[in-house]
Amino acid sequence: MNFTTPKHCFEMLVLKEISKSFGGVKALKAVNLEVRAGEIHALLGENGAGKSTLMKVISGAHKADSGQIVIDGEVIEHNDPHLAKVHGIGIIYQEFSLIPELTVSENIWFGSGKKTGWLNRKKMDSDASALIHSLGFAIDVKRRVAQLSIAQQQIVEIAKALSQDVKLLILDEPSAVLGTKEVKKLFNLLYTLRDQGVSIIYISHHLDELLELTDRITVLKDGKTVATLETAAADKDKLVNLMVGRELTQLYPEKPDAFPDDEKIGIEELRSGTSRQPMAFDIRKGEILGLGGLVGAGRTEVLESLFGVTHRPPAILRWQERSVSYRSPREAIRGGWGMVPEDRKKHGGILSLSIRDNISLASLGQVANQWGFINHRKEEQVVRELVDRLRIKVGDIHSPLSTLSGGNQQKVVLAKWLNRNLNVLLIDEPTRGVDVGARSEIYHIIQQLANQGMYIVMVSSDMEELLGMSDRIMVMKNGELQGTLDRAEFNEEKILRMAIGAN
Amino acid sequence: MKERLLKNNTLIIFLLLLLVSSFTSESFLTITNVTNLLRQVAPIGLISIGMFLVILTGGIDLSVGSIIACVGVAFALLSYEVYFSAGLLLSLLLGVVIGAVSGYLVAYRGVAAFIATLALMTIVRGLGFLLSKGAPVTVGPHSSAILQLGTGSVLGIPLSAILLALVFVIVFIVLKYHVYGRQIIAIGSNEEAVRLSGISVERVKFSVYVISGFLTALAGLMMVGRTGVGTPNIGVGLELDAIAAVVIGGASLFGGKGTVFNTLLGVLILGMIGNIMNLLDITSYMQQLIKGVIIILAVIFQKAQQ
Repeated sequence: MNFTTPKHCFEMLVLKEISKSFGGVKALKAVNLEVRAGEIHALLGENGAGKSTLMKVISGAHKADSGQIVIDGEVIEHNDPHLAKVHGIGIIYQEFSLIPELTVSENIWFGSGKKTGWLNRKKMDSDASALIHSLGFAIDVKRRVAQLSIAQQQIVEIAKALSQDVKLLILDEPSAVLGTKEVKKLFNLLYTLRDQGVSIIYISHHLDELLELTDRITVLKDGKTVATLETAAADKDKLVNLMVGRELTQLYPEKPDAFPDDEKIGIEELRSGTSRQPMAFDIRKGEILGLGGLVGAGRTEVLESLFGVTHRPPAILRWQERSVSYRSPREAIRGGWGMVPEDRKKHGGILSLSIRDNISLASLGQVANQWGFINHRKEEQVVRELVDRLRIKVGDIHSPLSTLSGGNQQKVVLAKWLNRNLNVLLIDEPTRGVDVGARSEIYHIIQQLANQGMYIVMVSSDMEELLGMSDRIMVMKNGELQGTLDRAEFNEEKILRMAIGAN
Repeated sequence: MKERLLKNNTLIIFLLLLLVSSFTSESFLTITNVTNLLRQVAPIGLISIGMFLVILTGGIDLSVGSIIACVGVAFALLSYEVYFSAGLLLSLLLGVVIGAVSGYLVAYRGVAAFIATLALMTIVRGLGFLLSKGAPVTVGPHSSAILQLGTGSVLGIPLSAILLALVFVIVFIVLKYHVYGRQIIAIGSNEEAVRLSGISVERVKFSVYVISGFLTALAGLMMVGRTGVGTPNIGVGLELDAIAAVVIGGASLFGGKGTVFNTLLGVLILGMIGNIMNLLDITSYMQQLIKGVIIILAVIFQKAQQ
């Protein structure tokens, strides 16, 4: 150690030209990041800017395709979660990794060091208690984690990370679940840690928080580092400007100028998630209504509410002078609605079933006779037509869905609905994990459906996609509608401001 | 087709066992023994097919052993009260009702299948003892035709085996060609995706327990037909035999995977193991031991080839 080097100039973590792709999608493009010892460093960017991926590269959960990681002056060749831990990297994800049925102290010591032998409960409890006290909190360490409030769980999570010798602590949106008072406490804790020489990477969308808490801010956009600046020299406008700004590419289909029909579906009394305030809005025939907002803003809940998936009181739909509510997907589908869910593998498709079975699943009645026996020839004919129409690249329609690429799987999930006379199609994240070529094709299919007079509601966390595909954009925050923009008013900055509440 | 048969491990195990059996005992491939074997496997075959459908949806039915006993007792008692045909129908109805209770608990009340059918297993066993007052009940003379179901033959083929074949063919066709079959398989693969496709998951799950109850009741009548006596303490542990047969047939206990053809092979494999050991005069204690080991080997073989 060079004694003349001031502490704050010493780099705890250096990332050089880190790149990472998933399939054909480049999540990180030569990202550079330097985090000093004893500083709180913010990582800022829109949904999908690459923050989470970058974090996972640091923690060893993902392996970078190229680039270099230097921790504490040491070059890490093959990072993995264990190695990262050994190097003193602690990470707190948005979803907690605590085990609800174990006590606080059991959770804190779980997976730390001792692999075999007997546990000294007394010592475990007193050590855990001391640790939490040293953070400035008081939690009974003998309670089960399930009994704690979310904020307390957050503290336990941090205590767990600190029970190891941590030099770099990464927090992903830690304040999202906390109240104002608790956020203050958290900040004080982070200041204390910083003063002890721990480096902290803090990921958040709350500009106010970042400006108050951090020493420096790095802005990511589209998987690239845009800038790193001293927080003292930053303000909200500057940050928003750095986060936005991009050209629409040729991926998107042409939009119609006007809608011939004035028909609309009125949605009322829609309650999504935590908000007590019900939502009301219109969907217009032939229009793609984009739902924007941050992850967790309640957009998926809106679609689920419309489709009758949740057990909350269903939304009221007024359409052609009738008013209906769907209490189950079955009812919604009978009413001519379809939904492409967010999680293709869990909810959209059935990976182990054949492509044929997946496509015909929602319209088996149309390929079966009145006794319910499936006409395999007719079924295969229908499936092949759809496969051709959507240009799904399949070898054999009898092979399992899991054999297809992400883009083609998504097309299969779309195809499932096209054999029905659909009025409304709800699409949640249409191109997540889909490569660029297939993306453009999916966009054109969706636009085509809209042009044929379908009502389309699309949730997207991809700003470019939202701007490129929507005819109108509704922005949500914390389960509430922030505003609606017509295509002429589309403005990335405006949308982002509404989504993070900085307008 | 040829490739698929070669990849079918259950079939390979079955053929191997058939080969070994015919070499180890001269009396194995005799008409008497084969007929006897078919009679033995017919009831467990019916139960296993029902169990297979339940397992396809990701569930399990532990109540089948108790249903066998209860239905047998009920039929014997009914034979003194009502006509033969009415007794048959009411006994089958009893199985359907018990299955419906399990199905209701699992599908509509969200009770774990293991727990719901475990409770039903105890309840129905108790019911059988209550009805019979704990003693075997001999079938009344008006209903002695039931013996045909257990011991009768058509053109030399046991009637019970013909019934099993019929049920097998129906289930095979339904799974391959009917909307309902497609729904059963899809639910076992991904329940949520099926629900979002507008299919009533509850109704399908409910129905497989009803079918299992019905097929088990039919098997219960076959068992009465062998001896002419309804016994309240038979069928203990039968659910495990049925589950074993389904698993040897390569089905996954998590659902969505397996074929009814392989389940039938699983039944025959288990039946053959018991049969050949009887022919070789192996004691029943030893038989249990060997059977368990063979089940483990068969399942490991299944896994290894995947």
